[in-house]
Amino acid sequence: MTQSSTDGQPFYRLAPWKWLTVAILLYSFIAGWFVPLHEGIIEVSPGQETAGSLIEISVTGYNTHYTSDPAPIRAWLRLMGDTVIEARHIDRMNDRELKARFYIPSVFPFRQDAYPMSLIVDHHGHGPAVLPNAIFLKPATEQDISEVGLWYEDKIDEIALKKDFRFPFRNILLETIRNTYFHVPLWFAMIILFGCSAWYSIKYYRTGNILYDVKTMSLINTGILFGVLGLVTGMIWAKYTWGAWWSWDVKQNMSAIALLIYAALIVLRGSLGDEMQRARLTAGYNMFAFILLIPLLFIIPRMTDSLHPGNGGNPALGGEDLDNTMRLVFYPAVIGFILLGLWISELTYRLEKVKQHVEVE
Amino acid sequence: MRRILHLAITEARIELRERYALSGLILYVLAAAFIVFSIWRELPPKEWGLTFWIVFLFCALMAVVRSFDKESESRYYYFYTLYHPHELFGAKVIYNFLLLLSIFLLLWFVLGMMAGNPVFRFGWFLAMGVMASIGLSFLLTFISSIAIKAHQNAALTSILALPLLIPILLSTLRLNAYALGIPPDDNPWNEMAMLSAMICLVTGMSLWLFPYLWRS
Repeated sequence: MTQSSTDGQPFYRLAPWKWLTVAILLYSFIAGWFVPLHEGIIEVSPGQETAGSLIEISVTGYNTHYTSDPAPIRAWLRLMGDTVIEARHIDRMNDRELKARFYIPSVFPFRQDAYPMSLIVDHHGHGPAVLPNAIFLKPATEQDISEVGLWYEDKIDEIALKKDFRFPFRNILLETIRNTYFHVPLWFAMIILFGCSAWYSIKYYRTGNILYDVKTMSLINTGILFGVLGLVTGMIWAKYTWGAWWSWDVKQNMSAIALLIYAALIVLRGSLGDEMQRARLTAGYNMFAFILLIPLLFIIPRMTDSLHPGNGGNPALGGEDLDNTMRLVFYPAVIGFILLGLWISELTYRLEKVKQHVEVE
Repeated sequence: MRRILHLAITEARIELRERYALSGLILYVLAAAFIVFSIWRELPPKEWGLTFWIVFLFCALMAVVRSFDKESESRYYYFYTLYHPHELFGAKVIYNFLLLLSIFLLLWFVLGMMAGNPVFRFGWFLAMGVMASIGLSFLLTFISSIAIKAHQNAALTSILALPLLIPILLSTLRLNAYALGIPPDDNPWNEMAMLSAMICLVTGMSLWLFPYLWRS
């Protein structure tokens, strides 16, 4: 029986890359869970007003400090680009609530049935908060053409973007934006693990060394574990953002099918008695499956409409959904989860190897 | 090539001699179509297409699952000494392809008689039938050659093949919408290229791996 290298050694004599994994994962879990979000706006009421009058809206903020920090607060309603109306008066109700009064001109620069307005609140020193389509304005019945100039008087200026370590506030995502550091890396790791298993299948195909089969299977088992976790985290996320655990989105279906393929592989192995035959069929099916996995996960979802970022015209890992602060956590998390997957596979591989030796003797 | 054709013809002759198997398959196709359409009665084009392909898929599974079943252990050794694995595989695939294509045509005929024929672009629908038959015959023949080793052929073939079939099936269904003239009437060539690429992938992989898996 081969002597395991860490037998009888204290736990801190781990290989350096394992310590690295622990450090990276600790960092991404702590940062991912505890770094606060930016200030944001959750809600504005009422949602509809008529133009040509003085309107008062109440704003519900998130992570805001309206009363505890006396720095000046300004607010704008934005029609488009630089076409904005600044609030005439702002009352601070409490840390989370503002009342803002705007005068809306009775005439708009262009004609439409209703005008969606974004609300921008700048609490000095805290960075701006934006709520798109915060309020819908209906045109006034009596229109005074001279008021159109009011749209161009106010400007959004002197907004200092706050540079601190905080995650962006996104309207539907809210705190679930943290799932980016767990859900996405889990899938990345799964693909890498399945890829490695296909690589060892090729090696088995070339050499016929049974140890490569053991390696393949430990990688596949870990990959399935990561895939299931990725699916579960994705379902939790979907519940809070898309409104249902499972909405038959093409990405959800394809990832479930991908897991079914590997579950079928486990069934196949279970029904084979002979070790060499089992290894050979596993290698063959695994290479076949991995090749088909690529269109399944990366090409088909891109060709149909999907709610999932990265598909059907939605951007992924770019634009506003992943800013530089998030990158600082996201990329380490990806590396950390991949290393964790390889670590788990290595452990199961060694365990399996020991078991087989025991069986032989 | 001549050896492959010869083997395929032998296969067909064995099959025709045991007439019950083939007539059982035809009965299966008819019964499935009849059950489905006595439930639905009237089918709009979209549902017609979906039902068509689902019935076709299960008939195909039924048909191909048996492709290695009827061989006895001793005939394997006989074939093994006589033919290269590629020749054997090619013969099986050609035979299965023709079988699937005739199932496709039969099903089309039966459904056309019973539920009307909403096919809008005949050429495209036929082309899809050919493409799907090629893809399915390669994939199912390959998978059933794996499953036969486990001696639980029928169940294991379905378990192994169904998830792998889905990319091809989805692509076919989208082209199907074009053939039936269901809006949106997109340009189908992208999808066609995608389907062809996947079929090439399946063909290449199964040709590469079959000799290796056959060796035991």
